Amino acid sequence: MTITQSLFYFLAFVAIFSSLLVVTAKNPIHSVLYLILTFFTLTGEYILLNAQFIGIVNIIVYAGAIMVLFLFVIMLLNLNVESEPQKTNLMKFIGIITGGIGLVVLTAALKSTDPSNTVVIQEVDMGLVKNLGQVLFKEFLLPFEIVSILFLSAMVGAVLLARKETK
Amino acid sequence: MSSIIIIAITAIVVLYLGLYKVKSALLPVSVLGLLGAAASLVCVWDKNISYFNDMLVFNNYAIAFSILLIATTILIFLLSGNYFEKISSNVAEYYTILLFALSGGVVMVSFQNMSMLFIGIEILSVSMYIMAGIKKTDSASNEAALKYFLMGSFATGILLFGIALIYGATGSFNLVQIAGKASEQPLLFYAGVIFMLIAMTFKVGVAPFHFWTPDVYQGAPTLVSSFMSTVVKTAGFAAFLRLFGSAFTSVPAIWTVTLVVMVVLTLLIGNITAAFQQNVKRMLAYSSISHAGYMLIAILLLGQASPNAILIYSVAYSIASVASFGVMVAVKEQKGSDDLSAFNGLGRTNPVLAFVMTVALCSLGGIPLTAGFFGKFYIFGVAIAANYTWLIAIAVLMAAVGIYYYFKVIIAMYLRESENSESIQLSLAYKFVLIFCIMITILLGIAPALITNIL
Amino acid sequence: MTEQLAWLIPVLPLIGFLINGLGYKKNPKGLVGLVGCATVLGSFILSILVFFDIKANGAKTIDLYEWISVGTLKIPFSFLIDQLTSIMLLIITGVGFLIHVYSTGYMHDDEGYGKYFAYLNLFVFFMLLLVLGSNYVIMFIGWEGVGLCSYLLIGFWFKKTEYANAAKKAFVMNRIGDLGFLIGIFMLFSTFGSISYADIFPQAQTASTAVLTTITLLLFVGAMGKSAQLPLYTWLPDAMAGPTPVSALIHAATMVTAGIYMIARSNILYVLSPISMAVVAGIGLATAIFAAVIALTQNDIKKVLAYSTVSQLGYMFLGLGVGAFTGAFFHVMTHAFFKALLFLGAGSVIHAMGGEQDMRQMGGLKKHLPITWFTMLMGTLAIAGIPPFSGFFSKDEILAHAFEVSPTIWAIGVGGALLTAFYMFRMFFLTFNGKFRGTEEQHHHLHESPASMTIPLIVLAVLSVFGGFVGVPEALHGSHLLNEYLSPVFGQSTQILNAAHHGHLSHETEYALMGASVLGVLISIFYAYTVYVRKEVVPAAETAPRSGLEKASYNKFYIDEIYNAVFTRPLDSLSQLFYRILDKSIIDGVVNGFGQLTQWSADKFRRIQTGYIGNYLFMMVVGIILILVFNFLF
Repeated sequence: MTITQSLFYFLAFVAIFSSLLVVTAKNPIHSVLYLILTFFTLTGEYILLNAQFIGIVNIIVYAGAIMVLFLFVIMLLNLNVESEPQKTNLMKFIGIITGGIGLVVLTAALKSTDPSNTVVIQEVDMGLVKNLGQVLFKEFLLPFEIVSILFLSAMVGAVLLARKETK
Repeated sequence: MSSIIIIAITAIVVLYLGLYKVKSALLPVSVLGLLGAAASLVCVWDKNISYFNDMLVFNNYAIAFSILLIATTILIFLLSGNYFEKISSNVAEYYTILLFALSGGVVMVSFQNMSMLFIGIEILSVSMYIMAGIKKTDSASNEAALKYFLMGSFATGILLFGIALIYGATGSFNLVQIAGKASEQPLLFYAGVIFMLIAMTFKVGVAPFHFWTPDVYQGAPTLVSSFMSTVVKTAGFAAFLRLFGSAFTSVPAIWTVTLVVMVVLTLLIGNITAAFQQNVKRMLAYSSISHAGYMLIAILLLGQASPNAILIYSVAYSIASVASFGVMVAVKEQKGSDDLSAFNGLGRTNPVLAFVMTVALCSLGGIPLTAGFFGKFYIFGVAIAANYTWLIAIAVLMAAVGIYYYFKVIIAMYLRESENSESIQLSLAYKFVLIFCIMITILLGIAPALITNIL
Repeated sequence: MTEQLAWLIPVLPLIGFLINGLGYKKNPKGLVGLVGCATVLGSFILSILVFFDIKANGAKTIDLYEWISVGTLKIPFSFLIDQLTSIMLLIITGVGFLIHVYSTGYMHDDEGYGKYFAYLNLFVFFMLLLVLGSNYVIMFIGWEGVGLCSYLLIGFWFKKTEYANAAKKAFVMNRIGDLGFLIGIFMLFSTFGSISYADIFPQAQTASTAVLTTITLLLFVGAMGKSAQLPLYTWLPDAMAGPTPVSALIHAATMVTAGIYMIARSNILYVLSPISMAVVAGIGLATAIFAAVIALTQNDIKKVLAYSTVSQLGYMFLGLGVGAFTGAFFHVMTHAFFKALLFLGAGSVIHAMGGEQDMRQMGGLKKHLPITWFTMLMGTLAIAGIPPFSGFFSKDEILAHAFEVSPTIWAIGVGGALLTAFYMFRMFFLTFNGKFRGTEEQHHHLHESPASMTIPLIVLAVLSVFGGFVGVPEALHGSHLLNEYLSPVFGQSTQILNAAHHGHLSHETEYALMGASVLGVLISIFYAYTVYVRKEVVPAAETAPRSGLEKASYNKFYIDEIYNAVFTRPLDSLSQLFYRILDKSIIDGVVNGFGQLTQWSADKFRRIQTGYIGNYLFMMVVGIILILVFNFLF
């Protein structure tokens, strides 16, 4: 087992374990912290795949910005163990069953898929910033530009919804 | 392509007009911009132009649906009059967001690359999440926005997952290339297709992913609901058909049974629940679920006739919906309620409104000599061609249930007494839209050949 | 000629509808009436021209334009004008015109005058479309259209809730029938690859009997709804809530005969399916007797006529079922005359009585309403089947054919005819003979109706008396003009039927049959005379005790109640079930329970927190998992 492989298994284990803790933790703050841990492990996986750009973006955007926002919201709303409504045991049970079935089905479906030519990365450096930029500004120029409409719309909407009505 | 640019620029211009408080110019500028966009589409008819490495391809299919979306938006804008002003003073922003949403819709009907599909859906959806919640002081509206947002994001996740799996299987986002490789990669591809199917059925509100529809339609401001049930739904179905009709045709066996079950479930739930509603808005919400069921039949039985069938159905349904929602807005403004009882005696106090509503509901119900009849007729025609007689039997039965609840409104309008006999005053634009919709509905009911052979 | 002008026949009433409908608030009453009547008169004149043209040159198909084309399905918007159609055109426009004229008098003081004429014209338009269409889709459009108009006109006086409910009932019952019709059309298409008469009928014999039986039975379900046959008949008596001329035009003379027209049009399909023929005959006969029995005890003058209509329609279906296509159609024609007359006469009586419909409040009207009295007498004699009035010939022809099939059917049919004679004369005597039983005020108010109402009565009376002479049977040394005229339509079917069984009745048998039925009818009338004129029996009030069968008849055999228990409530419960289980229980989940949705205004925020959206998402996940399991594990 090479170092890369053992690192992969280690990170994968931590990722799954911490995401389980996200769900089961009773305190919302703990949940968020475990989520941050999960993101970090995923970043590690990205870097193992030589996808630096995604790895860094993942840290900055998810672990950095979004998670801080989460923490703020939780603190501002003063959520804690007592005030959080708990699901009934029945719902939990059904949830576990469905989740389990989903897991089994997806595993069964994807297990037998052989890594084909298209699945295996052809070019090792594909995830580097330079290569990604070239694809983004050549082949995917239009989506890249049109996303601006999405952001503009979302920005206008955010301002619209957040602003106090002056009447 | 130029139409998307025109729409986006119009949106920004409108935003600035709002900044400089030129309120009276908002509507004319928006409508002019939309007319320009439609004109630019007409110019490229039959040209089949593709843009930026086949990201968007404006074939006749895309153009026809784009024009339908734009036309529906214009009608809704004309209905808006001072509707938005009553909600708040940020009218320009509303027009802007709706215009952005429309540009997303145009992207959705013209995409050739799944990344564009995703972006189009997101532009449309995000804009609609916002619009659903613009009544900030109304908790129903807030709830609608939140629900729509949370569930929509969930579906977006599924959609992305599906796209990723398909990319993994084929190494491409391009529909044509995917279609070329579809047969080589069964299992991964298979999973991807199923996930995309789930996501698309969510976006168009098909059972069992319809739960958001009634709550959101009812909670959102009525005009926004009308936009959702027409533009959003049409764009969703057009994209659905474009995706499945071009990329996944070589593997039709995958989704048939799943979709059949969904069609039946949707027809049953939509129609039977709608029959039970006392609130007209909620009734129309459930009925929009049932219409999704009929349109899904055309996707289920992909074939030569499907695009035409969906187009005709969309045209009929959009126009009739705009008219019925328009009447509902007018009634609600006067009576303060959109319950069935608010329509009592409308035939007496407002014969024009009542007549418009009657024709619109007849069309939605599929009564002959209205456009809606041909919508259903062509959809059933697709099913006949594929020998799905039993499915038609269910669909026809459900159509009968549909007529039952649409007629509840007509009964209320013509055969019940109203408490007050004040008639509702309508602006000229409002009357124009309503009469226009009715005339198109009847015209297409008498001469459907006008649009049946477009595609 | 026909080719150029035939399209005007339906278009004229449509123009009338547009003029009256668009300007119904502004148009003066004179103009409304003029437009309403003139357009139908125009159609009538054209129909006469068409009739002679068809008589001379045979059937014609008029293609207007290519209407629908989807895949292999091509539906031209075209009219087929043959002998059957041309007679229907004459009945619709002719009787329709008279009723329009009558309406100008009857509805004169109504505030919805303009709207009324607009609806009436629209009805005529759809009815004409129904009979003119050259394929089942156009027929279906007319079929739906007349249903819509009937619905609007039944509920015309919508101020009364019961009237609105009657309209709703009519609509729902008709929908059940229409459903059968529509599925039948789809099956026709999938069997024959076309829905045009001209394509289907020639290749009818290629289809298997089982398929034909299914199709014809489905079509018959449609006919049962529209023509008020057991078990879908209860809407028709309730439909009497509408204005009386509407009852005359729609619920007696024209719309309700659409079902008969449809079967007569599809005669070749029915002939090839003996089971369907038997079902049609059986249902028709059962309805004829059943409705006649109910009519015996009704006290509302319009209700008597309504049940009598149901019963007469039953006879027509009996005629179709035993292969007497011409006879059934003959009866459609004569029935249009005498039943329109009776309804209009009843309308005249009601008009004079100031809206009173209960016969127990009438009596002795003969001297106050002489014209109405005389014309009603003609109508009553015609429906009772006294020679030489028109009803005798048509009913006799149906019964004669029934005898060829089975003497038992004939006997039951004659029994029904005796009942008919009894209840009609009961109605007639109660209304016009004896002493006046209404209030003093009503007595003071009594007057003969204006000329606009009496002239149509007289014209219809003349038709009721002499209308039968177009179909005098051979046995009475007449030439059956109608039979001859219609032979191109029914010829093939008659051949098939003749090849299958029974020879012709001898003249002696026919004389005997006629004699027996006429004698029975006379005795029946005499009995009614003894009871209601000599003994002056007046039916007991609502609350009076009644014996078993009488009580059942008075209460219309509790059919409405049974329907409520058997269909409406289970349907309601089913609807409730779907509503509760699908919409509420599952969605809201075990946690929320249902009921909150209706109180959505209360405490919304809390509900979101109790996991409402969570439940939605949860349901979606379950759906997704199910789809995945289904697609990957099976």
